[in-house]
Amino acid sequence: MEEDLKTSAKGKILSIRDLPTLPRVLDEVSRLVQNPNTTIEAIAKVISRDQVLSAKVLKMVNSPVYGFPGRISSIQHSLVLLGFNVIRGVIISTSVFDIMAKAMEGLWEHSIGCALATGLIARKAGLKDPEEYSVCGLLHDLGKVVAAVQLPDLHKAVGETVRSQDLRWLEAEKAVLGFGHDRINSWLAEHWHLPPNIKEAMGSHHFPERAQLYPLHAAAVHVGDFVVRVFEYGSGGDDQAVPLNPQALKTLNISLSDLDSVLDGFAEDLSEVSGVNFMPEDGPASSGAAAG
Amino acid sequence: MALTLFPRQQHGILLSPDPELAALFRSLWDLSEVEWLVIERGRRAMEIIFNEPPDILVVDNRLTDIRSTEVATIVKSENVYRQLPVILCLDSDDFEQPWNWNEIEADDFLVRPFLPTQARERVHLTLCRASRAMDANPLTKLPGNTSIISRIQDLIDRQDDFALAYCDLDYFKSFNDKYGFSRGDEVLMMTARVIVNTIRGFTGVRSFVGHVGGDDYVFIVPADIAEEACKRVVEAFDGIVPHFYDEVDRERESIVSTDRQGEVRTFPLMALSIAVVFNTGGRLKHYGEASAIAMGLKKKAKENVKSCYVLDRRSP
Repeated sequence: MEEDLKTSAKGKILSIRDLPTLPRVLDEVSRLVQNPNTTIEAIAKVISRDQVLSAKVLKMVNSPVYGFPGRISSIQHSLVLLGFNVIRGVIISTSVFDIMAKAMEGLWEHSIGCALATGLIARKAGLKDPEEYSVCGLLHDLGKVVAAVQLPDLHKAVGETVRSQDLRWLEAEKAVLGFGHDRINSWLAEHWHLPPNIKEAMGSHHFPERAQLYPLHAAAVHVGDFVVRVFEYGSGGDDQAVPLNPQALKTLNISLSDLDSVLDGFAEDLSEVSGVNFMPEDGPASSGAAAG
Repeated sequence: MALTLFPRQQHGILLSPDPELAALFRSLWDLSEVEWLVIERGRRAMEIIFNEPPDILVVDNRLTDIRSTEVATIVKSENVYRQLPVILCLDSDDFEQPWNWNEIEADDFLVRPFLPTQARERVHLTLCRASRAMDANPLTKLPGNTSIISRIQDLIDRQDDFALAYCDLDYFKSFNDKYGFSRGDEVLMMTARVIVNTIRGFTGVRSFVGHVGGDDYVFIVPADIAEEACKRVVEAFDGIVPHFYDEVDRERESIVSTDRQGEVRTFPLMALSIAVVFNTGGRLKHYGEASAIAMGLKKKAKENVKSCYVLDRRSP
């Protein structure tokens, strides 16, 4: 019975064709791509703040159509390889959440916060290509977004279980669905030919010790998720702290005092991203309420 | 139908808000011959077309959210999609003004009221024509040698000022030897996209990009932007190419492979060498002169293990 639900849910998840996003970043990118003199750098900077748009360009550039699946994990590189026309095509065919927009806002804030924190951790740990770690942080909860779109009833039931039983989102997912968004992440990353480092970070951010090939990516996102929850910026769907796996700090070879300085750095940089309002300017005021 | 035109089932996408047209297309073919995905709104369809390119795209000019010609232009201006045939569906009113078929790179059109059998044959013809060989590099679909030579000779004959850049990859062979041909092809596809998109990033100028074959590419730009174009191509290439190596080699920034003499050697990461020849004041008379000068410059560019470009500064 449970296997049946998993198979049908996986089929639904992977059949997603129209993944909507929130209006604010989409509007900003739409304006940018109307001007043919806009630089790729400028577009990349904005797209890097939106998990759905970032996922779409990574999915496209890594699709077998372009001939190098699983190679590209940077937004900037993706845009160089896709080119202005294709970027424009992706932007004009992206829709926005209508009824769920409000509920999704917290999750968008949580994701951009996690991207920021993960990037800081990668820099603190002296890792190469810290931007790629930020991308991993940005996409770490994408499975929740896709589940909300493709399995709306089950997604709602998870939210209700979180509230009624005071569970973490992941625990509620396991109670309702039998699997978590980490599993959904792995399905999506595999199906979309995303690079193995992103795939492993998306699939193992709750249990970084299980990462086989890219333990650093999984550990960095794990700690990033912890940092953003310490600050209670945005919402991953529940208001509980995630347990910090001390092994993750060991893997990254950073100390608790390093983590302290990451927390300080995050507090400073947060003012930069917390200005990102994902709703239209005349829309309802932002709130950190739980994502639906 | 007794006649078998296609070796396998064909996938078509029809973009049309017109249910009658959708019904007509679905009735004309057995599902085993051509399967149609009908999408009523054009903008939404772009992502599907890019991710799952069909064998043929039929676009109704009655789409309300985007012009059919714009859909055709977006599809046709990308090297990876330009072989995808596009048929426009028009109303007779649409012909009051003449169409600029140089700009609208459609392959055919159908006119209302549609004659079912004619529509069927038009679609068949278009599909068959698209499958015929063209002068494109089979891997990257960029224009091949014939187009490159005729473009250069044409510019020379018109005594236009231009810069002609020859690009090739250093240490591509050792990469191929170590990682195999399919990994090598990945790099060739990537290089094509880097050059095309960088050159196309210069808006409002006439430019051309071709793939001579193997790891040799050509681009043509106005002389005054040639150096900036080289800089940008090299920068983008150098940023991306390490990701086509395995983690260990990327960290070490070199590979260990066997050289042409059979000796085990360490090779640096691949680099891009560009040699640029200028045609100013009609100094060149023949395509062969351009390539001869370029080959000389290339030797100079190759002396540098890093990506670099050499401009032919000799005055006419």
